[in-house]
Amino acid sequence: MSDDYNDNKIIQAQSSEVMGGSAGVNPDMDYVRPSELPEQDLYHGHTFLTKWVFCQDAKVIGVQYFLTAVFTGVVGLILSWLMRLQLGFPGLAGFMTAEHYYQFVTMHGMIMVVYFLTALFLGGFGNYLIPLMVGARDMVFPYVNMLSFWMFFVAVAVLMASFFVPGGPTGSGWTLYPPQAILEGTPGSGAGILLMLISLSLFVIGFTMGGLNYLITILQARTRGMTLMRMPLTIWGIFTATVLAMLAFPALLVSSIMMTLDKVLGTSFFMPTILKAGEVLEYGGGSPILFQHLFWFFGHPEVYIVALPAFGIVSDLISVHARKNIFGYRMMVWAIVGIGALSFFVWAHHMYVSGMNPWFGFFFASTTLIIAVPTAMKVYNWILTLWRGNIRINTVMLWCLGFIVTFVNGGITGIFLGNVTVDVPLSDTYFVVAHFHMVMGIAPLMVIMGAVYHWFPLVSGRLLSEKLGKWHFWLTFLGAYSIYFPMHYLGFIGVPRRYFEMYDSPYMTSAVGMNEFISLAAFIVGAAQFILIFNVIKTLKNGKKAGKNPWQANSLEWHTSTVPPEHGNFGDRLPVVHRWAYDYSVPGAKEDYIPQTTPPSEVAHTEVEKT
Amino acid sequence: MSDPKIDGFELKPGFKGMASDTGSDQTMFKGVHWGKAMMWIFLLSDTFVFSCFLISYMKGRASTPVDWPIPSEVFALHVGGVPVPLLLIAIMTFVLITSSGTMALAVKYGYEKNKKMCGWLVLATAIGGLTFVGMQVFEWSKLIHEGVRPWGNPFGAAQFGSFFFMITGFHGFHVSIGVIFLFIYAYKIFAGHYDGEGKRGWFTTMRSDYVEIEILGLYWHFVDLVWVFIFAFFYLW
Amino acid sequence: MDETKKTEQQESTHKIGIYLWIWGLLFVLSFFSYMVDWYNFQGMLRWSLILFFMFLKAGLIMAFFMHLFWERYALVNVLLWPMTAIVCFVALMVAEGQYTLFSRIFYFFVG
Repeated sequence: MSDDYNDNKIIQAQSSEVMGGSAGVNPDMDYVRPSELPEQDLYHGHTFLTKWVFCQDAKVIGVQYFLTAVFTGVVGLILSWLMRLQLGFPGLAGFMTAEHYYQFVTMHGMIMVVYFLTALFLGGFGNYLIPLMVGARDMVFPYVNMLSFWMFFVAVAVLMASFFVPGGPTGSGWTLYPPQAILEGTPGSGAGILLMLISLSLFVIGFTMGGLNYLITILQARTRGMTLMRMPLTIWGIFTATVLAMLAFPALLVSSIMMTLDKVLGTSFFMPTILKAGEVLEYGGGSPILFQHLFWFFGHPEVYIVALPAFGIVSDLISVHARKNIFGYRMMVWAIVGIGALSFFVWAHHMYVSGMNPWFGFFFASTTLIIAVPTAMKVYNWILTLWRGNIRINTVMLWCLGFIVTFVNGGITGIFLGNVTVDVPLSDTYFVVAHFHMVMGIAPLMVIMGAVYHWFPLVSGRLLSEKLGKWHFWLTFLGAYSIYFPMHYLGFIGVPRRYFEMYDSPYMTSAVGMNEFISLAAFIVGAAQFILIFNVIKTLKNGKKAGKNPWQANSLEWHTSTVPPEHGNFGDRLPVVHRWAYDYSVPGAKEDYIPQTTPPSEVAHTEVEKT
Repeated sequence: MSDPKIDGFELKPGFKGMASDTGSDQTMFKGVHWGKAMMWIFLLSDTFVFSCFLISYMKGRASTPVDWPIPSEVFALHVGGVPVPLLLIAIMTFVLITSSGTMALAVKYGYEKNKKMCGWLVLATAIGGLTFVGMQVFEWSKLIHEGVRPWGNPFGAAQFGSFFFMITGFHGFHVSIGVIFLFIYAYKIFAGHYDGEGKRGWFTTMRSDYVEIEILGLYWHFVDLVWVFIFAFFYLW
Repeated sequence: MDETKKTEQQESTHKIGIYLWIWGLLFVLSFFSYMVDWYNFQGMLRWSLILFFMFLKAGLIMAFFMHLFWERYALVNVLLWPMTAIVCFVALMVAEGQYTLFSRIFYFFVG
């Protein structure tokens, strides 16, 4: 009870199902039924190899995933620089041929979508946060979890190896559409595409091992009192994204296997009869559209595999840093689940111009636009969470606000592209590039940055520099808008994407200045990301000590026995959860936050929500 | 299998039970072993793999203007000069269903801690699986001998061979993995890893338990399940 | 909660009879689906019979051999609902297959 609120009319809280009607402290009100799970045995590593390399601790695996993904991300960033160099200032980079350009486009796309964002969100944040946030000692199958990372590592190694094989990496665009992906004349149609397909298959296998861990840990290994509807939205986002991944990656695996066979054995799953220089190739009778269906049956859920963890994490960050409970928690959960379920019924909106059955446009345009409903619901809820909150304008909050703006922007252009009639003229222009970079490139990236600034104190025990963080944010935010906003106009005037050069087309005159501007902005934004790396190094050396729970957050990861948490996470006894993770600024409470572990009897006279 | 006992939690039947299980803390699948839940989710994922294979196959078959080979003629065996359609496939189906049955019984005896019966039945399942793989090798070599290749065949559409070798190959791969594990687990049962408290595994501290036989059984029945679909869509359609 | 109801639990496993029954049924159904080919039914009758026996066999294996019949609804529903995505994929690919065939015949042979 707080003295400050004495004259307020105190409403008796029904803070738990077990609480009786009478006021006061009832010994029964804190009751949580005994554990139905046995204590988990953990394998503690003793040598350097088992402690840091082949480690079975989900937190170490999470950091390993994170660092590997960031490495691939930096490679992707450098590739985008090279692309922008060519587009803004053609001919400036002497070595850049059209082949190189296509290879860079392809590798940039594949790296960023699969090896960077997916691995970072699910492998990195998933591994680190799931056991901590649901109150488990570790993932349920630590050994399989360790194998999952190393499989991912091998997949990355195979992918990177494709830069060094004869012919270079594949240059068929990240969608790898056959027939051109495996035909001579496309850059990297030899070893490059094979290594890409092998790497993707390895990634899927590795991810399946990790994904099983995430799902079973969330479903079957929560701590006492942790119901599904008390989980932080971060976990809901990661959970739903993992479900999508488990069901969508099979389509990618199948299409990879089939294309590998087309390439190696000369089967014709995807290869139609092809005339090349007047000669009929040995292929015949296959269906390239089939590949597109398989690919996008994976590809569209993949978009949400990236977006849903971002939705979840940003909800938590906004709630913590606005000191308010998340608006409409249950609706947020159902929106995440609904978006996830719908994402399996929209895939062919990527294929409006592919020559598929023309009737499909009706079905897929409708389902696509229906997805806007739960998505808009989430945006309203974020804004309503901020409404009259006690907002801390720190770096984390800035990233969250940047995310909301960017996401709304990218989402609205998505509504354009979801309609067949609008999509047909805009298809394969820079409008599409601007749309998907806004909605699934920059927006999730902003969340990642926010999450890094938020959870870095947990991982390292030190707070990242706010001053550098704000520089990082403003350069990235303004820079990213300078890159992608003009791209919408490029799209409207019809500049096609994936073109190496505009040559003598009319776009030369109207788009050249804009292209130069975009390129300059891209160089600055890319360079700005190294501020974060510098910040991390500086902070690790002599950053401000964070202490326990620097953000006054409620969720379990901040209430471990030590910071950073050790193997086993919670010391001798697992925490018992009594409430959701969003009891911020509860009227009548002593502090402006009530951790999830606080029993109802301690906050009996506050207006705490019943969760 | 049957409902577990959970201290302080009432297990309701049907959809009410689903709601209260889902809304409860700690676990959503009450009394389900972690490994078993994992196997189920893995099989769900694997179902999508095989579905994608079969959907691709049906799409390929539906859209080819060239005649599709007639499976009952291609897969016929000549017995005394008379072609019997799908004879080998029928025997393979028989073998696989038999092994599925022995596996189901092995699971039952495992839970009854009947080490001997469980072990022998797992071994029988493994031998059934091995027979199946052997017959598949025979079928493949017969077709290859007749000129069926992944890139073409003398009977009709080239995709016939492609899909045949890919889908049965992927299924056979699953069976082979299953056979290897069946032999490993047969050894584990006879070696007494499941006696008493259970032996600790390698590089982990988890103890062995007869539930592992059910997990293995789930995988094996799934392999059988996939064969049901392959049999229907590839051989009979 | 002071009172906790404990569910009645049967410790024993299922009777062996049920497994043998299902086993037998699977043989019979496989025999029937083989007969579909033997008697050379064609067209809709053939396809619907094949699908009917297939789903019956698959259902028996899942329900009894894989114990789904005895599992709690939480697990059963989690496993079965994702199949709607597969059903949607199948339906659309049927339409797509027909359209591809149509356009091939139309443009290559007719047009």
